[in-house]
Amino acid sequence: MKIAFIYGSPKAKYSASASLLQELKPLLEQDDIAISEYNFRKPLLNKEEIEQLINYDILVFAFPLYVDGIPSHLLNCLIQLESFFTSANKKDIKVYSIVNCGFYEGHQNKLAMEMMENWCSKAGLKWGQGLGIGGGGMMVMIKNVPMGQGPKKSLEEPFRQLANNILNGASGENIFVSPNIPRIFYKFAAEIGWRKSIKANGLKKKDLSARK
Amino acid sequence: MKLFICDLESKDFGKLIPDLPDDDKVILYDESIQHCIGCFGCWIKTPGACVIRDRYGDMGEYLSKSQEVIIISRCCYGGFSPFVKNILDRSIPYLHPDFVIKNGEMHHKRRYKNVIDLNVYFYGENITEKERQTAQKLVKANSVNLDCNIGRILFFKSIEEMEGQIL
Repeated sequence: MKIAFIYGSPKAKYSASASLLQELKPLLEQDDIAISEYNFRKPLLNKEEIEQLINYDILVFAFPLYVDGIPSHLLNCLIQLESFFTSANKKDIKVYSIVNCGFYEGHQNKLAMEMMENWCSKAGLKWGQGLGIGGGGMMVMIKNVPMGQGPKKSLEEPFRQLANNILNGASGENIFVSPNIPRIFYKFAAEIGWRKSIKANGLKKKDLSARK
Repeated sequence: MKLFICDLESKDFGKLIPDLPDDDKVILYDESIQHCIGCFGCWIKTPGACVIRDRYGDMGEYLSKSQEVIIISRCCYGGFSPFVKNILDRSIPYLHPDFVIKNGEMHHKRRYKNVIDLNVYFYGENITEKERQTAQKLVKANSVNLDCNIGRILFFKSIEEMEGQIL
């Protein structure tokens, strides 16, 4: 089975989407599974990439939630892929998606997941399953925390379900999950983080509230 | 002011809105726009403004001066077109990075006090019922995040069908 991991974050470094695909990878390691990786960081795909993607059994997208939806650069890529897949008339590719948001609640990724499902319908592909994850802002910071422990305790079972469905080429209900820490703690940690970052940039804490 | 965010060419926009007051602002399709790179510079380097200084670096300020925002967009998969979505992605400096809890969910705090009336006109030949439902939910979600009021959410088959229907 050939699987393509599609990294949909515009970030080359410190991407939560990349961290999440790296969590999924070991769960898919079997002799008959070959995983290739593609970075969709720009709004334009090259012809070679587009043509390669039709040769996979499974596409696994991972991307951040931007303003309740799909980041615009990735949306451009999806439109190009829709056009190609539709004309190629390949119907047996299955699509899975991991969407993360900076908000605590995983369910805030629901509409982006619906858009991915709607894209599948338009492109003639089959929807497999979506996993929406909250607390995306801390995923890079906790990337070395083992899956199933501490803040990642709530992620273990959803990742296992997603991996099993991918390995079986099966579909499943979309899953939305929040990190295993209290929301108030996540909110507090994020707000401390913004203050540290703005000071590191030579500004003052009050500048966070600057108006133009 | 009224702020129009559209993925239209100038000639099409002119047919839809022939008489535009001087103080209104119109953003039309521009292929030179740069996309958001998720750097959060608009919150921690140049708070309130995007660090990408193309023509769309001051979306936060434009929104802060708007009483009404009118979005005219092709409906793509139940969302906005890439250009309109790009404008919205570049608009997060309108918000403050800190969080508030609204409707039991985490959202961003206001940076500005103005309350926008949001009207959205989607167009497209093959908008499915599911896409229409997603789009309606999307505008509602956007209104929660922007802490604004929703006016109209309408769907049209073509740009021509919108003539006389905007405003």
